[in-house]
Amino acid sequence: MAKILIIAEHFDGKVEDSTLELCKAAKSLASALGAEPAAAVFSKDGAVANEVAKYIPAVFSVEDANLEKYSADGYTAAAKAVVESQDVKGVLIAHSYYGVDFAAKLALALDCGIVSNCNKVAVEGGAPVFTRNTYNGKIQENKKVKTDKFVATFEKGAFDMEAAGGAGAVTKVAATIGAVRTTVKEIVETMAGAVDISQAKVIVAGGRGLKDGDKYKDVIIPLAKKVGGEYAASRPVVDSGWTEAARQVGQSGKSVTPDLYIAAGISGAIQHVAGMKGSKCIVAINKDPEAPIFNIATYGIVGDLFEVIPAMMENL
Amino acid sequence: MKIVVCLKQVPDMESKFKIIDEKKIDESQIAFKINDFDNYAVEAALQLKEKLGGEVVIVSAGPARAQKDVRQAFAMGADWGIQIDDPAVEAGDNYVIAEALQKAIASIGDVELVLTGVQAEDDQASVTGVMMAHLMDAPHVTNVVKLEVNGKDLTVNRELAGGKNEVINLSIPAVLAIQSGINEPRYPTLPGIMKAKKKRLDVKKAADFGASAAAKTEFIKMFIPVSEHKAEIIQGDPKTAAATLVNKLKNEAKVL
Repeated sequence: MAKILIIAEHFDGKVEDSTLELCKAAKSLASALGAEPAAAVFSKDGAVANEVAKYIPAVFSVEDANLEKYSADGYTAAAKAVVESQDVKGVLIAHSYYGVDFAAKLALALDCGIVSNCNKVAVEGGAPVFTRNTYNGKIQENKKVKTDKFVATFEKGAFDMEAAGGAGAVTKVAATIGAVRTTVKEIVETMAGAVDISQAKVIVAGGRGLKDGDKYKDVIIPLAKKVGGEYAASRPVVDSGWTEAARQVGQSGKSVTPDLYIAAGISGAIQHVAGMKGSKCIVAINKDPEAPIFNIATYGIVGDLFEVIPAMMENL
Repeated sequence: MKIVVCLKQVPDMESKFKIIDEKKIDESQIAFKINDFDNYAVEAALQLKEKLGGEVVIVSAGPARAQKDVRQAFAMGADWGIQIDDPAVEAGDNYVIAEALQKAIASIGDVELVLTGVQAEDDQASVTGVMMAHLMDAPHVTNVVKLEVNGKDLTVNRELAGGKNEVINLSIPAVLAIQSGINEPRYPTLPGIMKAKKKRLDVKKAADFGASAAAKTEFIKMFIPVSEHKAEIIQGDPKTAAATLVNKLKNEAKVL
């Protein structure tokens, strides 16, 4: 039977949450297409393959010294070997740091279409139709592939995580992993010893709408102090050097779940939302009524944060 | 060092988006600009040129309006450029664009480094650079937040989740997808803007480079997403709305 194959991702021997989400996705997509869900796991010794087998009925394990660490060359060669050894209809990959690094390469190696950064998939007329965010989440589009096989990447949180419980069969697949042209020398921590905002009960975060570093300091920090919380930021604020990287909330920064998260001048790109959507109460202040942040906020004010925040301060 | 930067013109994401017939956005209300991530790639290339010499070439695919932003990169300091203004490429998918860009880059000759932004703000696909690397048979690294060149060897940092970086070695020729925050993109100077007007910009069709890829994916439709959840929008002038909000946070949500 044809298979929907996920490529598992693991770091330091631990299976990533995104892989468990893909297990869920593969099961529902496989059943809609009359296929079977399966996973491919690439590692030095196969230990992590047994872990993935708790979540999906079939696991194909490629084991090679060159697969100890992630590389685009290694993962593409290994994934191609699994696809060619099985009847694989489609490959699902996380739209993660590693996923975006090799998914498009694998699609070309398999000579098939890729739809990346998807958040949904439905089956129409026997073929998968993907939904994905474009224009910073303001518009979504539907796409499909024109080729027999497909590769798709999914954004984090697109599916719930599959629960452990099964004992899938692990099958070794032989693969020739050729030259790996990128060598990982080391992994370094860039935020060691920095402030930890993840324990704060209240977080006031500023975004691109703050316009400049002085305004960020004059508006966001005083409000955070007044409510006894921590100040934080979306990526553009940190990229511009208005505050330190340890205060960045989102996929590339911290994940936080305070009682109150105030997002000022933050549009609500998926990368930011991934790091704060679990907050108990979310306040969005933005002059753009169509900013996606209003789709996850509890309360919203459509207006100029430079007028709204000083007025809030007067009432606190 | 001969460096190519692939640059895309995109809408300002704060624009008011309207969709025509589920197929395309209404451009009449849209202001266009350089894809943010590409700005960082241009700056990274200019810094390497300042250190090592060589030239920086901008390669872009897009309609005539995109020339404005290729010249913006010229004003920052890039030397010359190629613009692929071809409806067949515009109508294609990421693969069609990747092949056209790669063939255009091959026509330049002896390119040692290709830089792209980590993604385009409009398409959000993050696939074109990786595809170009595959077509060039060159190694690549995405999400690059640090970059050093030592002769033919590159040492780059790849951003990972939670503040971790992977330090990676590879050799040129290579493709790097540059993440935002790696540097502070410069603003064009007035003399830079004057010089930019005279810099060479070759406007070409894909066929001029022998590019002829067919799309492997099909666009079906676009739509404004309807959220199942909407915030309770607090009405009134800023003072009234702020007072109401604080009251709700204290007495309704009980989080203050």
